[in-house]
Amino acid sequence: MTTVEKYLKPEVIRQISRLDLRAQFIVKGFLQGLHASPFHGFSVEFSEHRKYTAGDDPKDIDWLAYAKTDRYYVKKFEAETNITGYLAMDLSASMDYSYEQELSKFEYATCLAAALCYLMVLQKDPVGLVTFGERIVDSLAPRSNRRQIGNILSLLAKLKPRDKTDIANSLTQLAAMLKHSSLVMVFSDLLTDPEPVLAALRRLRHGGHDVIVFHILDAAETAFPFEGLVELRDPETGDKLEVDADGYRADYLQEIKNFRDHFTRECRQSGIDYVPLDTSMQFDRALMEYLVNRRTHG
Amino acid sequence: MGFLTPALTLGALAVAVPIVLHLVMRRQPRILDFPALRFVLQRRESNRRRMQLRHWLLLALRCALIALLALALARPTWRPPQSRGKAGAPVAAAVVIDNSPRMEYVEAGRSRLDAATEAAASVLDRLPDDAQATVIDLTAGSARFALDVDSAVSRVENMAPVADARELTAAIIDAIELAGEQTERRGQVFVFSDLTRGALPAEAADRIAKALEAAPDVQLALVDVGSTATKNVSLGELQLSSSLLRTGEQLRLTATVSVAGDGDPPLAELLVADDSGELVKRDQQLISLGPASSEGVQVGDIEFVVDDLPLGTHQGVVQLAAADALAFDNRRYFTVDVRPAARVLLAAETPADATLLREALSPSLFAGEGGRFDCEVVRAADLPKTALDEQQAVLVLDPPSLPAEAWDALWKYAQQGGGLGVFLGHNAESRELNEAAPQQVLPGRLKRISRNATYLRPRRLDHPALAGLANYAEAIPWQLCRVWQYWQFEQPLAGDAHVVATFANGQPAILQRAAGRGRLLVGVTPLSESLNPRGRDPWNDFTAAPWPYVAICDHLVGYLARDAETQLEYLAGDTATIPLAPDERVTSYVLRTPDGQGLRRTSVAGEGTLSISVTDAPGNYRVTSGGSRLNRGFSVNLAPGYSELVRRDPEELVAALPKEQFQLVVGGDAAAELVEVSATGRELFPWAIGLVAFVWGAEHFLANRFYRKE
Repeated sequence: MTTVEKYLKPEVIRQISRLDLRAQFIVKGFLQGLHASPFHGFSVEFSEHRKYTAGDDPKDIDWLAYAKTDRYYVKKFEAETNITGYLAMDLSASMDYSYEQELSKFEYATCLAAALCYLMVLQKDPVGLVTFGERIVDSLAPRSNRRQIGNILSLLAKLKPRDKTDIANSLTQLAAMLKHSSLVMVFSDLLTDPEPVLAALRRLRHGGHDVIVFHILDAAETAFPFEGLVELRDPETGDKLEVDADGYRADYLQEIKNFRDHFTRECRQSGIDYVPLDTSMQFDRALMEYLVNRRTHG
Repeated sequence: MGFLTPALTLGALAVAVPIVLHLVMRRQPRILDFPALRFVLQRRESNRRRMQLRHWLLLALRCALIALLALALARPTWRPPQSRGKAGAPVAAAVVIDNSPRMEYVEAGRSRLDAATEAAASVLDRLPDDAQATVIDLTAGSARFALDVDSAVSRVENMAPVADARELTAAIIDAIELAGEQTERRGQVFVFSDLTRGALPAEAADRIAKALEAAPDVQLALVDVGSTATKNVSLGELQLSSSLLRTGEQLRLTATVSVAGDGDPPLAELLVADDSGELVKRDQQLISLGPASSEGVQVGDIEFVVDDLPLGTHQGVVQLAAADALAFDNRRYFTVDVRPAARVLLAAETPADATLLREALSPSLFAGEGGRFDCEVVRAADLPKTALDEQQAVLVLDPPSLPAEAWDALWKYAQQGGGLGVFLGHNAESRELNEAAPQQVLPGRLKRISRNATYLRPRRLDHPALAGLANYAEAIPWQLCRVWQYWQFEQPLAGDAHVVATFANGQPAILQRAAGRGRLLVGVTPLSESLNPRGRDPWNDFTAAPWPYVAICDHLVGYLARDAETQLEYLAGDTATIPLAPDERVTSYVLRTPDGQGLRRTSVAGEGTLSISVTDAPGNYRVTSGGSRLNRGFSVNLAPGYSELVRRDPEELVAALPKEQFQLVVGGDAAAELVEVSATGRELFPWAIGLVAFVWGAEHFLANRFYRKE
């Protein structure tokens, strides 16, 4: 693994405190990995040269143009078609959960959103941010300039999960807000009734939007690693239940599997990308999903 | 079901521990935030039910584990149904050991008695501490329960074969009765036997079954220490032509030899002791055997003849040359007396009157060939001049009137130990004989001559004078001894007189009077009556046929002359009797037993016999006394029945005895296990601990399965 690729690991990314750097490292690691992959050069197309300015990646300098002109030009990449992306962040209290993991679900989602934001801006795709709890809390209109990265990342960095959540309502609200067909990337743990959420997702899809659902669960929520007698408390509802964890594991895992399978099945039928993730997984899975989606969209 | 250490079953109370832990000492749960609680909640109900089931199942298994462990440590036992009566009561064990000579049979270098005592010792060894035990063997005598088992053990260890063994069946019944008397204890009888027919004859099972019926709480275990493959050559009872011989008479010895199992024809040897008591081989014979019986027993006969025995008591042995598994029946001992003829004086009116009796006692045809009696005939009138001292018996036949001195002499002779017989007849006159002198001899005053025809018919033949006839009592045609005339005595008779024999009509025929150390018989009709007397009717026709006349005369005169055949053969355990001559005074004597020991003994003063009860060992015994030149002997043999080695069918016994009270086992180990099982029950510890292991395993398996890490 090259040094950059290691930044795809959550436990490494955690050591970097600044969100912009995190996003940068993730994307660099991701792109580095892409060089060895069939995706190399598939998403980014050369469009024009522009003068090199401080802050540009020296790697992008076109040495052929320099030889001809004795000036520094930077290759300008451009997607053939731009796609407007919305990052929809779930602010529910349940997202602020981690059990013996490097990142909480929310931190993981934030990193992932930041990376995607970075990647999209790199692609010249306009990207916006929507955060929601029971309803939409904040929104940032999509832009494709580099400053947008700063705007989004600063907003992301300030976000605190705190609310109860109503994903279906929030998504419906978002659908109403979107004027052009866009790519909506939802970051949520989906810990609510699935049917209204699925209905809202279908509505988004019917509105001509592409939807990727990043279903982020804590590693503990997928593996149920508890032992012995435990009292489990839902941070959102305050419900409590005392269970014998050892005796419950099999049941729980079955239930989670059913839930994910249900979403997978329903989303596939509606043409929605459903990406089940947990906080122990590398980030490239989610980024790849974005790229695949972008190509089919293109 | 019982427990060896019941107190430990209290350990089962420890099942409370997991229950208390389960119900009271519940762990405090860890409190954890868990946003995905909704998925947990969805399965709550079904999971709760399943978990509850699992919890209760595990709790039950853990409780069972503790309870079982406690029960296993308390050493559970299972008691067979036979021993459930008086369950829990301590044991009273009666051990019956067959120590008859038959058990000396040697197999694989060890006698059956050794096998029996070893088995019995192991049974006693396994008895619980609170048990009582007794050992019953086949010596006569009663047994009772000893307080401790140790004394029983030492009796078993010192058990020796007994020559005069009583019936095993009787011993078993004694043991059952003894065990049945133990009301507070569980009676158990262990019988160690070889199961031969000699030990348990056909009727034994019924008798034992009856005894068991009378003692329903008693358990009987028959321990078989014998085997089916027996091989034995046995010498049967020795038959002697006579144990009393006259000089020059032949001794003929016959015996039957039976051979069980295969074997060469045995060789029999005859040994006779010489003057110094040393046995000298006189003859040997190879026995030719007949065909084998269905039980595989072949039989053959032997006969030895000895013809040059001098005067005196002679002893010897007939033995089989080859040794075999059962030693005692390879030798048979015998003793014979060789004596001179007894001197008998016959006094009659004329010598002709005594002819018939003389011929009966010592036939002139066989004169000089060792007859029993040496008869001398004198006229009755010559009696006063005749020396009587040399005679062993004097018979006065139909005496005419005798002077008083003659009667005095006769009386004196009888007083000093002589044998006097007076047979009255037609010469007798009551007036004369009722005088004082004859009345010393006669048993009463003469009354009259009875002419009621009758015949001699002794009611009983128990008087020594007639006892010899008892052997063929059935064959005696008493009706032939007809009597037409006989003397009657006035009643009452003299105080010391009693009737020896009667006529068929109940009137006395022969009477006896006490006469000091001698013997005195008086007949009321002549003993030597001619069938056709001149000038008168005959008094009887005793002499008409030689049988039974000769026999009667022989026994009567033999009795008077003290020349009766004395018993010289005894079975082990019998009391031997040695009659002494009237003039023999023995105060002490030496008894030489077969093992060569000389025992000095004192005789009871005044008794005419020596009684010897030390006859346990088979062999030849010798009684000597220096002072009176006494030198006699007798032989002791074992009863031939002890050689019966044919086995009973064990199934027959099992079928004949009540199932719930009887068990048949083979060998000491099985017997010892039996006592353990019946005394304490069969120990179930291995099973219980196995069950504990199983439950433990099940608990682990279930716990691992229930809480398996996915």
